[in-house]
Amino acid sequence: MNAESKTSAWMTDRLKARSRYLLILLLLAAAFFALAVVNIYSGSVTITPEEVFGVLFRRMGEETAQYRIIWQIRLPRIFLSALLGGALALSGFLLQTFFRNPIAGPYVLGISSGAKMVVALVMINFLERYREVSSSVLILAALFGSLLVTGFILLLSRRLRQMPILLIAGIMVGYICTAVTDFIVTFADDSDIVNLHNWSLGSFSSVGWSNVHTAFWIVSAAFLLTFLLSKPIGAFQMGEAYAQSVGVNIRLLRIAVILLSSILTACVTAFAGPISFVGIAVPFLIKKILRTAKPIIVIPTLFLGGAVFCMLCDLIARTAFAPTELNVSTVTAVFGAPIVILIMLKKHQEY
Amino acid sequence: MRIKFAALILAFLTVLLAGCSAAEAGTVEAGTAESESSGAAVPVPVESGETAADPEAPAVDGLVYVSTMKLDYAECFDVYFYEGGYAVVEISDMRSYLIVPEGAEVPAGAEGRFIVLQRPLKNIYLAATAAMCQFDALDTLSSIRFSGLEADGWYLENAARAMEEGDILYAGKYSAPDYELILSEGCGLAVESTMILHSPKVQEKLEELGIPVWIDLSSYEPEPLGRTEWIKAYAVLFGKEETAEEIFSVQKQYAAELEGFVNTEKTVAFFYINSNGAVVTKKSGDYIPKMIEMAGGRYIFSDLGDSETASSSVTMDMETFYASARDADFLIYNASIDEPLESVDGLLAKNELFADFKAVREGHVWCTTKYLYQASDVNGEIVHDIHLMLTSDDGTEVQPTFLYKLY
Repeated sequence: MNAESKTSAWMTDRLKARSRYLLILLLLAAAFFALAVVNIYSGSVTITPEEVFGVLFRRMGEETAQYRIIWQIRLPRIFLSALLGGALALSGFLLQTFFRNPIAGPYVLGISSGAKMVVALVMINFLERYREVSSSVLILAALFGSLLVTGFILLLSRRLRQMPILLIAGIMVGYICTAVTDFIVTFADDSDIVNLHNWSLGSFSSVGWSNVHTAFWIVSAAFLLTFLLSKPIGAFQMGEAYAQSVGVNIRLLRIAVILLSSILTACVTAFAGPISFVGIAVPFLIKKILRTAKPIIVIPTLFLGGAVFCMLCDLIARTAFAPTELNVSTVTAVFGAPIVILIMLKKHQEY
Repeated sequence: MRIKFAALILAFLTVLLAGCSAAEAGTVEAGTAESESSGAAVPVPVESGETAADPEAPAVDGLVYVSTMKLDYAECFDVYFYEGGYAVVEISDMRSYLIVPEGAEVPAGAEGRFIVLQRPLKNIYLAATAAMCQFDALDTLSSIRFSGLEADGWYLENAARAMEEGDILYAGKYSAPDYELILSEGCGLAVESTMILHSPKVQEKLEELGIPVWIDLSSYEPEPLGRTEWIKAYAVLFGKEETAEEIFSVQKQYAAELEGFVNTEKTVAFFYINSNGAVVTKKSGDYIPKMIEMAGGRYIFSDLGDSETASSSVTMDMETFYASARDADFLIYNASIDEPLESVDGLLAKNELFADFKAVREGHVWCTTKYLYQASDVNGEIVHDIHLMLTSDDGTEVQPTFLYKLY
């Protein structure tokens, strides 16, 4: 094969790959809109398409139950599940890149255990002292707990250069947090234990527009910064030596990656509680169907994939046994755990 | 560098440990607050109808204070009456409700200060299990449209029937209510137990949807009859204060009948075995031990558990329980969480050591019915039942309602 035909074949392959990326992105976007529509229509109360259209686009019947159901219950929930699903997938991708390990998810590193520990402390203390605790206090507690563990992992990363050891250290931090939580729970009231358990299974129920607004700014900023880091992350994927040779500041990149990932995880945990498997399953699936791990392509696609995955899981969680609502983690685990097993089985393959 | 790193690790561990000790310290302080509130001076009761000024009565613009509800035992709520049929219900220091009569105007400026509840209250979402019996006793079950408990969870006959007939619908548990269903039928009030305090997002969401939230603090009442007296708070929501007074006086009567009774000095253990095989029993300061004392018995643990914490139960290993309760005259198996026992063999199957207990050898093993914990309106009768159990060897033929003997 001469040079010209080689170039031509390379161009054809590249064109095919680009077409595939575009097609997958379009399919995910279509799934996103389809799920958004299904979510708007689905619920305990039947609302006709005409009513939905009138409420959404003409703002008809502001005093009616249908209007409030759509605007105050269904829409904030759809937006938040999409935002946080995307955030979880992105967070998982960053951690997997950082640790070079496909099962390094946001919750494997004990970030959610840290959040749960601080939420347990705050919930029990506030209820004992003041009999009440507001949701914003619990959100801040979860955020603080997540960032506390992140800070500790960052500290460890300065000492532990080998990623597998750092990953194990992160898991150990998670165990310490779990042990502290168990210690607190030993002296807690039954009602504290039950509610802490409910919280730790995650839910998009009870969300409001204020949650959506806050999550939107945090997740958007983190997404944008991650996207801007696509090139250095891509170089890092090729190995530290290569990244350094092309001028990437490895130390700064590591800090940026772990901070962004933690902020995203902390945001999810704060607003919806810990949600398992999304951070591992979605990046794996997306990379598999894209047949590439290039950050510039993977980042937007997996964000959309995470949003679609969480919207679907939330739809199942709230409608499968209505009016009883399942915890989101129950559903994400059903779909996500088999994917993790698949990763284990194919661990010898290249990612 | 190493020193710096070690210092940072130390700081992290210090934060964790400080957190733990704060948790314990918090528990103690909170408990103190509770015990203080328990022992706090209850506003001097003014007979309903009297017009003596009550400094505790909140001033409401445009309303003239009339009287304060007389409460015998309850410490977690107060009721103030105003001219025109208005009333203010203050639940602890947490929430104030202004009850507005049907067709009457809401006083100017009340919306921000009070949670306004205008009669008639309809399509209530009831997630506080212990409150259902109060609605039933007041004959206001028809005001409830949604339940936080499924039909098979109700041991209260009328509530279970209403659910089976579709008059009351299951609308999700307290921590995940079906907002759509509740909103679609114009829910006028959500009645929640103290469990909602652990799920503030739910409470805030209900309020965001315009559904006022009533928090039942009856489980915080230190006296058994204080729980029962909450019927008076519910009565105000429907203008049925007189009915509530009559119902409550019957319960008071049950307790009053035992006032002159000399304690039998028979010892009673109240417990259940959890899934780990450990014994879960009540703290000495809980209302169940108090009911045992009122009924003429002695709770086996005179000083069990930290009275200053909110928890009502203590989990202990079998060895500790055996040492204390082996010689107890009566064993009552608490079937509120665990399944009710059918025979003494059922108890022995949980742990063979029970065969060595005095109560088992003498045939004094009893079990509670599931209904016990949904019957907070008849705590006087429950005290009476325990009294019947204690005197069951005296030839009494009357069978208790809330307890049954195991053979």
